[in-house]
Amino acid sequence: MTEQDDKIAIAASQLATEIAPSRDLWPGIEEAIKAPRAPRQTPWYAQAAAVFLLVGASSMVTYSVVKYDESNTPKAQVQQVQIVPTNMIFERAAFGGEHTLESVYGRAAGGVESNLNRELANLSPEARADVQRNLAVIHQAIADISQALEHEPNNGFLQELLVAAYRNELTLMNRIGSMTQRVMARKDI
Amino acid sequence: MKQANLIVLAAGIASMPVVADEQVNQTIDASSDGYVEIFNTSGSIEVTGWSKDSIEITGTLGDSVEELIVERDGNEVLIRVEVPNRHWGDIDADLTIKVPERSSLEVTGVSTDIEIEDVLGEQSLSSVSGDIDTRGVADDVEAESVSGDVDIQGNGNGSFEGATVSGDVMVKGMSGSVDVESVSGDVDVIGGSYEDAYFETVNGDQTFHAELKSGGDLSMESVNGTVDIKFSVPVTSARFDIETFNGSIRNCFGPKPERTSKYSPGLELSFTIGDGDARIEIETLNGSVNVCNAD
Repeated sequence: MTEQDDKIAIAASQLATEIAPSRDLWPGIEEAIKAPRAPRQTPWYAQAAAVFLLVGASSMVTYSVVKYDESNTPKAQVQQVQIVPTNMIFERAAFGGEHTLESVYGRAAGGVESNLNRELANLSPEARADVQRNLAVIHQAIADISQALEHEPNNGFLQELLVAAYRNELTLMNRIGSMTQRVMARKDI
Repeated sequence: MKQANLIVLAAGIASMPVVADEQVNQTIDASSDGYVEIFNTSGSIEVTGWSKDSIEITGTLGDSVEELIVERDGNEVLIRVEVPNRHWGDIDADLTIKVPERSSLEVTGVSTDIEIEDVLGEQSLSSVSGDIDTRGVADDVEAESVSGDVDIQGNGNGSFEGATVSGDVMVKGMSGSVDVESVSGDVDVIGGSYEDAYFETVNGDQTFHAELKSGGDLSMESVNGTVDIKFSVPVTSARFDIETFNGSIRNCFGPKPERTSKYSPGLELSFTIGDGDARIEIETLNGSVNVCNAD
């Protein structure tokens, strides 16, 4: 050890070993420990219930659309239908860490989409463009929410918004898919 | 020479037969509180309630309309404008229909404007690209359109549902429950008094300027739309839960909103006034929120 090292060691030993805070912080810390803020994270069982409800509701919608379609559309007409691609994009979304909503939703939407495409072909170009523009609005909303979820994957509030956005799209597709059929199919009392 | 040809052509066009719209004037007996279904693909439908137990249909049918079907079976009357599956000509039908005022209605169109006045029974109204406007409403109404606006007005007590894709929705002066939804259209509930009010939009703005009854539920959810609440009767007992991920919250009563996290811009505001009988829940991603009582 050099003379310089000895001087530093002596100076260090003379430093205060404790520094008192300007005020007593412990009561605040203790209070925070005793009453922790309720987490925003949605419990796993609530997330599972949301997925279950979405699958159930979507399956019912799909079933009703397919059933209605089968009973009202002659097979000869089905072959004449022009399918208009909607370029649907299922945004990847983290849902509760383990689940992906896109796979659940994609199955439900697939059954409704073919009906939507047929009805879009029946609409005027203006109405068709309007529907597609608004589907794009929903897709953008889904993308925005998914982006926010990437930063906060367990944020229950964002998860609720995402489920609602997917539900909006399913509702829109189903609504369009049945509106013109209603006026075309009704023949008599 | 060219001038002579033009004169001949003009004379030929002038002498071509003009296909005129067909005039309609038909009356059928009906129940005083029956069910009337109207289907018209294109054009307009005006329905007015009157005190007679009959239905009067007047108007015009475009030259490509096949026929107007009017049938009655007991309490039910069907009015349908029949058009060919592949239509290139004029399939517009403009119908003015008078029905017994206590009738219930189902009116469906595609490119069809729908106007209803003083029909007191339930109404189910649907058009793809036409506007829907119903006045003097006294019972439940369901109205949906894609690009058309939906306007429901009256003083009835019941259930009122308006849904659009891009059209605006207005519900004015009613009471009971209201459910308004749109993707990009604005949804407004003005005046009236509600036990339940439910709003949902993606980009559309939302306005609730009405009374929320004691113990009522108000739910407003939007991704990018703003939420504006002004209670026409001051709320004295309610639980408020307001949250926005990236918007602002302005409230005229109760505590100030708090950040949900120091790492994100989110705000939340939860508080109770009185016994917390009513329930107000508001959620947005980017839309701002404004909550006040009437001046």
